[in-house]
Amino acid sequence: MKVLADGDGQDLIALERRSSSLRSAKSAASYAVLVLFTIISVGPALYIISPAFRDSKSLFSYPPQWLPSEFFLGNFQFLLTQTNYVRWAMNTLIFATGVTLIALVIDTLAGYAFARMQFPLKKTLFGLILATLMVPTAAVLAPTYLLVRFLDDWTFGLVGIDTFPGLILPMTVSPLGVFMMRQFIETLPPGLYEAARIDGASEWRIFTRIVLPLMKPAIVVLGIFVFMLQWANLLWPLVATTKDETRVLTVGISTLQGQFVTNWGVIAAATLMTLVPITVVFLFFQKWFVQASVAGALKQ
Amino acid sequence: MTTTSATPEWAQLTMSPDECARERSRFRRHALKPIIGFLGPFLFLWTLFLAVPMGWATWLSFNEGGLVSDAKFVGFKNWTTFLNNDELRTAIKNTSVYVVVAITVVFGLGLILAALLNNNKKSQNFFKVALYFPLLIPPIMAGMIFFFLTHYDMGVINLLLQTAGQDRVNFLGANPNALMTIAGLEVWRGLGFWVLFYLAGLQSVPTDLIDAGKIDGARNTRRFLRISLPTLRPLMLFALVIALIFNFQLFDSVQALTKGGPTLGTTSIVWFIYKQLFTFQQSGVAYATSLALLLLVVALTIFAYGFLGHRKDGLK
Amino acid sequence: MAEVIIRQLTKSFGENTVVKSVSLKVADGEFLVLLGPSGCGKSTILRLIAGLEEATSGEILINGKIVNFVSPVNRNAAFVFQNYALYPHMSVRKNIAFPLATAGMPKPAIDEAVQDAARILELSDLLERLPSQLSGGQRQRVALARAIVRKPAVFLMDEPLSNLDAQLRQQTRLELMDLHRRLGITTIYVTHDQIEAMTMGQRIAILKDGELQQVAPPLEAYDQPANIFVARFMGAPPMNLIPVSVSGSEPTWSATTQGGSIDFDLKSVGITQAAIGAHMSESLQIGIRPEHLSLGAVGTGLSGKVRFIEPTGSDTFVTVQVGEKNVVVRCGVNETAKIGESVGLAVNPAKMHLFSADGWNLRTK
Ligand SMILES: Nc1ncnc2c1ncn2[C@@H]1O[C@H](COP(=O)(O)OP(=O)(O)O)[C@@H](O)[C@H]1O
Ligand SMILES: [Mg+2]
Repeated sequence: MKVLADGDGQDLIALERRSSSLRSAKSAASYAVLVLFTIISVGPALYIISPAFRDSKSLFSYPPQWLPSEFFLGNFQFLLTQTNYVRWAMNTLIFATGVTLIALVIDTLAGYAFARMQFPLKKTLFGLILATLMVPTAAVLAPTYLLVRFLDDWTFGLVGIDTFPGLILPMTVSPLGVFMMRQFIETLPPGLYEAARIDGASEWRIFTRIVLPLMKPAIVVLGIFVFMLQWANLLWPLVATTKDETRVLTVGISTLQGQFVTNWGVIAAATLMTLVPITVVFLFFQKWFVQASVAGALKQ
Repeated sequence: MTTTSATPEWAQLTMSPDECARERSRFRRHALKPIIGFLGPFLFLWTLFLAVPMGWATWLSFNEGGLVSDAKFVGFKNWTTFLNNDELRTAIKNTSVYVVVAITVVFGLGLILAALLNNNKKSQNFFKVALYFPLLIPPIMAGMIFFFLTHYDMGVINLLLQTAGQDRVNFLGANPNALMTIAGLEVWRGLGFWVLFYLAGLQSVPTDLIDAGKIDGARNTRRFLRISLPTLRPLMLFALVIALIFNFQLFDSVQALTKGGPTLGTTSIVWFIYKQLFTFQQSGVAYATSLALLLLVVALTIFAYGFLGHRKDGLK
Repeated sequence: MAEVIIRQLTKSFGENTVVKSVSLKVADGEFLVLLGPSGCGKSTILRLIAGLEEATSGEILINGKIVNFVSPVNRNAAFVFQNYALYPHMSVRKNIAFPLATAGMPKPAIDEAVQDAARILELSDLLERLPSQLSGGQRQRVALARAIVRKPAVFLMDEPLSNLDAQLRQQTRLELMDLHRRLGITTIYVTHDQIEAMTMGQRIAILKDGELQQVAPPLEAYDQPANIFVARFMGAPPMNLIPVSVSGSEPTWSATTQGGSIDFDLKSVGITQAAIGAHMSESLQIGIRPEHLSLGAVGTGLSGKVRFIEPTGSDTFVTVQVGEKNVVVRCGVNETAKIGESVGLAVNPAKMHLFSADGWNLRTK
């Protein structure tokens, strides 16, 4: 509107032309920036392929060798025969899946209670739990470690250092999960819940038959969120495991450093072997992953 | 017919207040039963693995030992050490520098890229996926990947510099390079998250606001600064607190890349706690530091959610 | 089949008391409409009867039994929600079957009951659809089917027609009345629409700010409103109110307005001598419905000036300014009054109401 008042038709057309060429230049520039950051994001991880298929000695050669001159499989061979890589990978799967499944169960149940049930001190209790929303493992590392060690005696070795329950259970407590689930259940129309009550359903039946089926998206999102957090977890597994029987990938790979005068080719191979499956899964379920990560923060 | 007409017989109450109160409490107790099943599992684990450790952490901060030997009560000694420990001071300084650098860069870059992406609807999905990708990689492995970039002898960046006839950079073996490299790693890993976060925020800016801006003839940039950004401000403050909490926990990439060195140059608070506890068995000051970290995080959390709750009330 | 009685029912949410000592008796098989503006506590009363809320005080009886501390399902009351509350992930069949499956009924019996309910509500062809694949009217019928399938003693309906468009609403209204006639289930029906209340209710209970104003059959509530609130809420356009001062003595009384006075005798307006004696000195108002006024030549009845003329096709509503008050008159479509014209207003004194300063009708039935 203002533009119209400013000048006559000729100017206007010229302006339009100039601004449209400006716009296309701008969009090309923004495209270039985005492409640059795409390369920065993906490039480093892609480069790992090269050292993974090279003998470690060639890594330090000068002039640098960018691509493998031969398809060297020694790193992988070493990884599979001289280390417990397979065991670590299995353990990671057990650990991350275990935490995810337990967290999903307890979080959805508690989320339902906080969203839909009435009980005394509900607000106070929820406030307390909320205050512990982001307590880092590091801040309670010593007492948690001590606790698990004590539990070893009290539970006759069932929960303890170097056991899966001892590794998994302390990580299942995530107030954030309860919070997300409560938020989600609160967005479901309360009428559904009330209709089911009128229809005679118990809380358990309402939960399993009405609420749970409608929560699928939230459950997938929370599941991915928890799994991603735990599969990358280093600090707790580092403290809670001392043997390869329960050691997970993050810890295992960090033991490769130094243990064998740092065989870089092997580290590259281990990293690559770990990244390939998760990348494939990611590419299949990218929408959910993206949603999961943002949901964690945006769902408040 | 007036309001004051006497209550007809059929409308007289038949239950005595006592009876009513008894029935009510019986009914409520009955309704409470399922709560145990729903809340019990979480509450049990929460108490055991979060509340108890938090209380224990408080107690431990007045103790020494306990990990290999028996714990010994030492009063406020840990806290005086806490205030005077040079290594810890360095750790706090390093962590603070790291937090400021990482958050500034990642927020700035994230916002810019989100804005670019928001105007680039066509390939948005591709870029989203690409930028998100590093987040899949556990920090410890991201550290390994960064080795191949920043290693003095075999790092790609140095190889490229060398090929171009430039001097090599000692990314990991000198200060403050090492800390900056670690900040770089976290920015690399976290950037995608913040881009998606801001993008979601930008896309939730009501379109009528933006359209109003268009009609008013506001330029793209101005529109972004004047309309989109202010609407995002509450969200950003919240995000800032979350980012602070997360970044104060810097550990994995230190473990992967530098092990706290060179000469404490990358010793972070959590690295310090871990090292003191499990390598040097100097548990006292580590206990105090843990508790300080715990209190900081809880305070920030309450602030963030208190703030958010406040804002919501304000909107009503 | 059951009688519903509520006794001095009160409900507070914190400080806010939204139902205030409401007593109501609904006969077995009756269709009672709870009417009132939005926010007056209608839904809350219905939810209290259903057991979705717990009463602060008072008693609720269904079939002679106090059910205050009985779980919803054992009250045997079915609830139809405003937005139907169909389970979105279940087919129509599963939705209707849900209450029965919950009660543990064997499958063949469930199938039969679902078929029956579907037949009554003409849903037989839609049983495999999801709620999202149905129109508003069909969803509404599914909600009804789910309510009738377990043969409840009481039907509680919370504005079940408000989400339908005007045409469908009228049709569904008739279907609902037909359903009630066929099944004879005691029904408490909540609405804020006085036309719905008038046409459907055997009796109407009118509510304002959580307080019961009047319970009466529709025409009685219309012709003998207990107070100004009921008088104005029932009927569109609403009853005219004109401030008056009353003077006189047996046998002729007169009510004087700014536009003249109206003579009346106590018998025809149904007021006792004691009542008028007690209130004569207050600032009273007369209430008269548009259809009980007619336009005449200047000099007949009250005098005023024509302000607006609104033809609706079947009637023409003429707004006449009498003193400072606008008074609406219902006229035939051939009315020839012109805006600005001075006219006389003939009042039918027998249809007139006299309201006390605190709003109550002085008329005794
Ligand atoms: N769960 C509740 N908590 C607090 N106030 C409520 C609740 N439910 C209803 N109210 C209040 O009670 C009043 C009556 O509500 P409602 O019974 O839904 O009115 P109606 O159905 O007549 O429109 C309203 O002012 C409403 O805000
Ligand atoms: Mg309502």
